[in-house]
Amino acid sequence: MSTENTTYRPESLTANRPLLWIAAFLSILMMAPVAWIVGLSIKSNQDLMLGTETVFQLPYTIANYINILHSSQAFGWFFNSLVVACGQTLGVLVLSSLAGYAFARLEFPWRRTLFVIVLFGLAVPEQAVIIARHQMFNWFGLHNSYIGLILPNLSSAFGVFLMTQFFRAIPKEIDEAALLDNASQFRIFWKIMLPLTLPAQATLGIFTFLYAWNDYWWPLISATRKEMFTLTIGIASSQTNFAQSEGLGFLSAQAVFASLPVLIVYLIFQRHIVTAVSGGAVK
Amino acid sequence: MSASIEITNVTKRYGALTVLSDISLAISAGEFIVFLGPSGCGKSTLLRMIAGLEDVTEGTISVDGVRVDTLPPGKRGVAMVFQSYALYPHMTVAQNMSFGLENIGVAKAEIEKRVRFAADTLEIAHLLDRKPQKLSGGQRQRVAIGRAIVKEPKAFLFDEPLSNLDAALRGRTRLELAQLHGRLGSTMVFVTHDQVEAMTLADRIVIMQDRRIEQIGTPMEVYRRPATRFVAAFVGSPAMNFIPIRDAVMNGDRLSIDTAGLGTVSVPLHLPPGFSPEGAELGIRAEDVSVAAAGAPGIALTAEVIERLGDRTLIYGHLEDGTKMTVEADGRNATRPGDRLTIVLDTSALHLFDKTGAAHHPEGD
Amino acid sequence: MAESYRRSHWKNGLFVLPYLSVFVVLLVFPLAWGVWLSLHKVDLFGPGRFVGLNNYVRVLADPVFLQALRNSVVFVAFSVPTLVVLGLFLALALNRTTRATSFFRGLFFSSSVLSVTIVTLIWRFVFIPGDGLMAVLFEQVGLPPIGFLSTSGWSLFSVGVATVWWCLGLPMMLFLAALQQIPSDLYEAAALDNASPLRVLTRITLPSIARTIMLVAIIQIVMQFQLFGQAQLMTNGGPNGTSRPLVMYIYEVGFVRWDVGKAAAASEILFLIILCAAMAQYVIATRKPEASE
Repeated sequence: MSTENTTYRPESLTANRPLLWIAAFLSILMMAPVAWIVGLSIKSNQDLMLGTETVFQLPYTIANYINILHSSQAFGWFFNSLVVACGQTLGVLVLSSLAGYAFARLEFPWRRTLFVIVLFGLAVPEQAVIIARHQMFNWFGLHNSYIGLILPNLSSAFGVFLMTQFFRAIPKEIDEAALLDNASQFRIFWKIMLPLTLPAQATLGIFTFLYAWNDYWWPLISATRKEMFTLTIGIASSQTNFAQSEGLGFLSAQAVFASLPVLIVYLIFQRHIVTAVSGGAVK
Repeated sequence: MSASIEITNVTKRYGALTVLSDISLAISAGEFIVFLGPSGCGKSTLLRMIAGLEDVTEGTISVDGVRVDTLPPGKRGVAMVFQSYALYPHMTVAQNMSFGLENIGVAKAEIEKRVRFAADTLEIAHLLDRKPQKLSGGQRQRVAIGRAIVKEPKAFLFDEPLSNLDAALRGRTRLELAQLHGRLGSTMVFVTHDQVEAMTLADRIVIMQDRRIEQIGTPMEVYRRPATRFVAAFVGSPAMNFIPIRDAVMNGDRLSIDTAGLGTVSVPLHLPPGFSPEGAELGIRAEDVSVAAAGAPGIALTAEVIERLGDRTLIYGHLEDGTKMTVEADGRNATRPGDRLTIVLDTSALHLFDKTGAAHHPEGD
Repeated sequence: MAESYRRSHWKNGLFVLPYLSVFVVLLVFPLAWGVWLSLHKVDLFGPGRFVGLNNYVRVLADPVFLQALRNSVVFVAFSVPTLVVLGLFLALALNRTTRATSFFRGLFFSSSVLSVTIVTLIWRFVFIPGDGLMAVLFEQVGLPPIGFLSTSGWSLFSVGVATVWWCLGLPMMLFLAALQQIPSDLYEAAALDNASPLRVLTRITLPSIARTIMLVAIIQIVMQFQLFGQAQLMTNGGPNGTSRPLVMYIYEVGFVRWDVGKAAAASEILFLIILCAAMAQYVIATRKPEASE
């Protein structure tokens, strides 16, 4: 494309300069709303009452963030989210690893049929079962409890599917060698296969954690008592009395505060998350 | 410790597909047996059936007189060395070797003693604390063998263990394996498609093709007296020459065979009962054909391709009627493509193959 | 004679038992129970009464449902092509490993890890009248203000903008993964054949990822049909239900008005729609990739 004497590059239309500039421009559009809310969060509510264009002028303050520290409710929700997300992550890892190992490696009657049925579960949207689930959890009095918030997503077939793929990628000879070494199936799973899938466990674990942390639909229906809200639901509830009592600055600070944990997790484990989303859907 | 292995009427099927059909084989204690054959002949499957990694569809397998095909792999008392070595990547060399012993509850001191012994034998004592990915291919191979040795198995099973090594290392490891067998005196079953490995290592070779055993014999038997045309063609390099025959009649105590390419050849062989010349062939190895002095009586051959191997020269050519023929000459032979030569056959080294592929050899040898 | 050892054993199935029990109790049973509910008249008290397909008739005759169905279809029809085209464009632009491209990739995907509440909070601050970013910008430029969240037409559009912003990362990542699987010798062969960059794009790149484009489109159709949180939090379906999607209809009927049978019927209809898309996805995913390798 250029007339300069540059080294030849094969993919000359992909990732070339003009496209990259357009992408850079789109990234500014992408970031603008975020910059706006961060700007609002460091303005005092009094300033914002005069008009939000004051965002572009001094002074700035961290008062809104300090106010969050004083609002005990947000921390309670944060803790609920942590319990639910960790519980769900642990549960999904245990169930998916056991099932994935068996589907990938062991032979037992009906294995193929069961696997196809489980895959079919991937196609069932939450909305198709939500009404019945809500009734079931009502029968057992599980609403407004940690167990009630954790359980439903343990049935997701995604983890089983992903772990099956990961176990299949381990050379078969390794477990055959262990079989000849007189190790029981569970010992092979525990001492050989599980350590070898640690990166995969991390991938699935982080993905599940984020999913649970962000889940909106089930906690909205199941956690109706304010003290059982997760952070996601809590923030939503304070949005409804929008801009009335708390003010724009405080709400913005709350949004920034609530997104920090996931963004930090994302920054640290970016590679694992990308593996999970692209490994799960393609192939 | 070494044990005999008896394979009796073993068949392996995957659904409707038969991979091994009615295999029977007796391996003596301390014997080094090699399963040799082209890929897909079922040799690896048979080895894995002994190990218990493949189900036995029909038939029985015994080790040391005890039936083992009813037992899970770990209880059969055999150890296996895999082509890919299959070391546990997250364990050190020492842990790799002791894992199997820990599983059967061997005392710690005893485990340490056996690991030490195996490491010394294989000269890998300095690697005991390393993880497999820090080892070279040859070192991994030794660890895999060490992992088998510490178990003091009744038999060692090797599944093409040398094929991932480079040529020089493969040759050296072959020698060391032979030495190891001499020292341990264990029963060893070794699968390969490489005939050099088979010839050099085996007490007896089991040649397999197309679900069946073609021949069981010592390396020299297999080479000198191949039971079938397949064995004759598969073993030996360059491959044996085959010449179609037109007729065969007894002439005194020799068999007079008429061929298009060689004319009439007289072979010290008795006409097999029920023999029909139709579809039958004569076979002779290149080394049993020699180049005669120019002008001497013999058979005419036109050279096409010459391969100079240094110590010897291989001449690929054709006879008058077009039959292909390979001749081995000495290293200084100066034949060039297009040259016409006179060749002489060693008739005592001729083999006769009937239409079914069954072989008939001259007496003696 | 004793049976030979078999690698297949029912005991091996114990490994799948824990998951399978959760699967049956929390997915299979509710799925069946949902069908049962949809055929009964149920309220919070007392057992249900069998009413056949009456609930379905009530749903399909409900103008609110039809409006929600239309909203969902319109939403999918606009948001999915936008997501696919933008995602494909970004993937093509960023398909190389340099510091700049990996930074941009990370940035474009980062919004996907936020929860719907944060996303809607951010976008409400952009769209709210008077104080929002758009309002401030419009005022600076001198344009008349638009009620983005309260005008029919604009409200669904605003929900769509927030959705595209939120969901763009996944299509981009899937396209990038597909682009990286195109063997580089294809490009080298094309270069030797003197192909122009545009021809390389239309004859090699796009055909090689055609399957992925279909897959991404279907995944997005499935996901966007489940639109709920954005609409509920940003516009609450308003004004006059012009931005109320199907799932929100189910939520309101089932959990606000507690008409369980009707909500179950509506959710079965949604399930059918999504099942069709999922089946298409399965067929495409398992079909042999033609021509390309």
